[in-house]
Amino acid sequence: MADYIEPTYAEVNQDILRAMMETGPKYWATLGASITVAGVCFFIPWFYQLEVGVGASGMNRSAVWGTYLSNFIFWIGLSHSGTLLSAVLHITNSSWRKAIYRSAEAMTLFSLITAALFVMVHLGRVWFVHWTVPIPNQMDLWPNFRSPLMFDVMAITTYLTASSIFIYMGSVPDFAAVRDASNGLRRKLYTIFSFGWRGTAKEWHTLGWAYTFFAVLVIPLAVSVHSIVSWDFALSLVPGLHHTVFAPYFVTGAIFSGTAGIVTVMFLLRKYMNFERYIREIHLVNLGKLLVLLSLIWTYINIMEVFTTWFSGSSYELEALEWRLTGFYAPMYWEMILFCAVVPMLILFKRIRTSWKSMLTISILINIGMISERFIIVATSQPRKFLPNAFGFYFPSAIEISITIGSFAVFTTLFLIFVKWVPAVSLYEVKETLKPLRRSR
Amino acid sequence: MSTNVMGIFEFEDEFIGALRRLKESGFDELTAMSPIPLHEADHILGFGKSPVRRFTLAGTIIGAAGGFAMAVATALTFILPTSGRPIITIPPYLIISYEMTILFGVLFTLLGFHVVSGLPAWRDRIYLPASNVDRFTLVVECVEGDNSKLAENIILESGAEEVSRVEGDR
Repeated sequence: MADYIEPTYAEVNQDILRAMMETGPKYWATLGASITVAGVCFFIPWFYQLEVGVGASGMNRSAVWGTYLSNFIFWIGLSHSGTLLSAVLHITNSSWRKAIYRSAEAMTLFSLITAALFVMVHLGRVWFVHWTVPIPNQMDLWPNFRSPLMFDVMAITTYLTASSIFIYMGSVPDFAAVRDASNGLRRKLYTIFSFGWRGTAKEWHTLGWAYTFFAVLVIPLAVSVHSIVSWDFALSLVPGLHHTVFAPYFVTGAIFSGTAGIVTVMFLLRKYMNFERYIREIHLVNLGKLLVLLSLIWTYINIMEVFTTWFSGSSYELEALEWRLTGFYAPMYWEMILFCAVVPMLILFKRIRTSWKSMLTISILINIGMISERFIIVATSQPRKFLPNAFGFYFPSAIEISITIGSFAVFTTLFLIFVKWVPAVSLYEVKETLKPLRRSR
Repeated sequence: MSTNVMGIFEFEDEFIGALRRLKESGFDELTAMSPIPLHEADHILGFGKSPVRRFTLAGTIIGAAGGFAMAVATALTFILPTSGRPIITIPPYLIISYEMTILFGVLFTLLGFHVVSGLPAWRDRIYLPASNVDRFTLVVECVEGDNSKLAENIILESGAEEVSRVEGDR
């Protein structure tokens, strides 16, 4: 990147705030399309399902879990992109994180919201969702904390709260910059959002300490969240699910999927918000290296899952494995292997990992593979458990397919709203990566 | 009566130099504003380990104990025998306790940030918006009359672009 000219501090403010505060017709068209798709594909089918019951989905007596839960795992997984990666890179002092972490953390937040929506959709009678929360009620009813589903409620609530605080606190100095650059109602709002931040040494010092504590607390939290999601399955006795490897399998898959998600979002931000000066080749290359590492770990765990199933000698497990590898959904299984174990190895070639378009394609393929992984876990286990008289079949209904497509529009809508409310690249952290403003250079 | 002297710097090293000289000259009421965190400024102003960590510790202890207690209290309120398993089952309750440890740790850290930093502070205070862009600003509270002249001299000699006397809350 010989022609790269480092921006000045003032240019950082101008570029990033302009991208946030100036809105063109393309943005409104994209937002309008996104809201429309979310409404038509997600909310209308969901309301229809609320009206007629969960029978509108393809779930049945032997397959009581379906696409809603596989999508829930996928979105929870995608959420591991931001907060976890951001926190790990923060405490390891990796400066390349600084230009990309804000958007990655936003991905976490919106993926979690989308995942939580899938729990509501799956629940059927969503108006009873508060029964899962330990709050006093007129029935004196309290949840059963021995259930992995309650672990989930606690973990996801904590993760959503911690991620929201993490992204908000990191944005406070930038809210002050928005306040200073605006007037009218926006200025009033950002005065409140920024808490009256002035950038004094005491404020920076306190924020630095608090932010590091947030990061330290969020890392074990993120690991626990996807481990707990895996226990929803692994703590059952269902062949194909009752595996001790599930927690690291889910966590690795989550970080893998999330990192690929960051590459996709980085491409879009760079192209459509003109962040070429901030989101650069170094980010692409480092994320590419991370993807190769995660792909290798993920592949190893997949091999171990097959090996331990074979080695167990359990006829139930072997039957479930055979169905997965050669049954109706076998093409999807092998597509997953192709996209998540083979395709990422292309990143080893420098020409691929330095090409934005190639990396975008690979990142999308990885996430297609990861959606398939989650679907296979759910769809090939429950309908194939133990004795043949319990065997069944699951195929998603049109409602489920529509809601799945709509969820991407829900996520996109939330993200599009976010980039107009919060600077998508951290102003002060980008400035920290620039040459210090010193007379004696 | 006190006077506030404000100096604006273009360069970080000159700003740090001024801060150090003012501190050495006995000025203790200093406010340093910068667009990025400056660890040297922390050292000069004597900021050591932040009290935020005590809030975090308190939060994690309350969360751990509270989470476990909540799960136990729930189990004892509704006795739910499952095979021969104990009513109070430690392993699953440790998971609830773990999550609550983190939740309360985060919430108390947030509280600690607000208490220690004094934010939110929406009242009018001395502030230069450029110090959130590309300028470094120093505000010195001078109690004695001739003290302010000394502060002005130090700031100017250190390389400030501009020095002025300002009214208002520091």
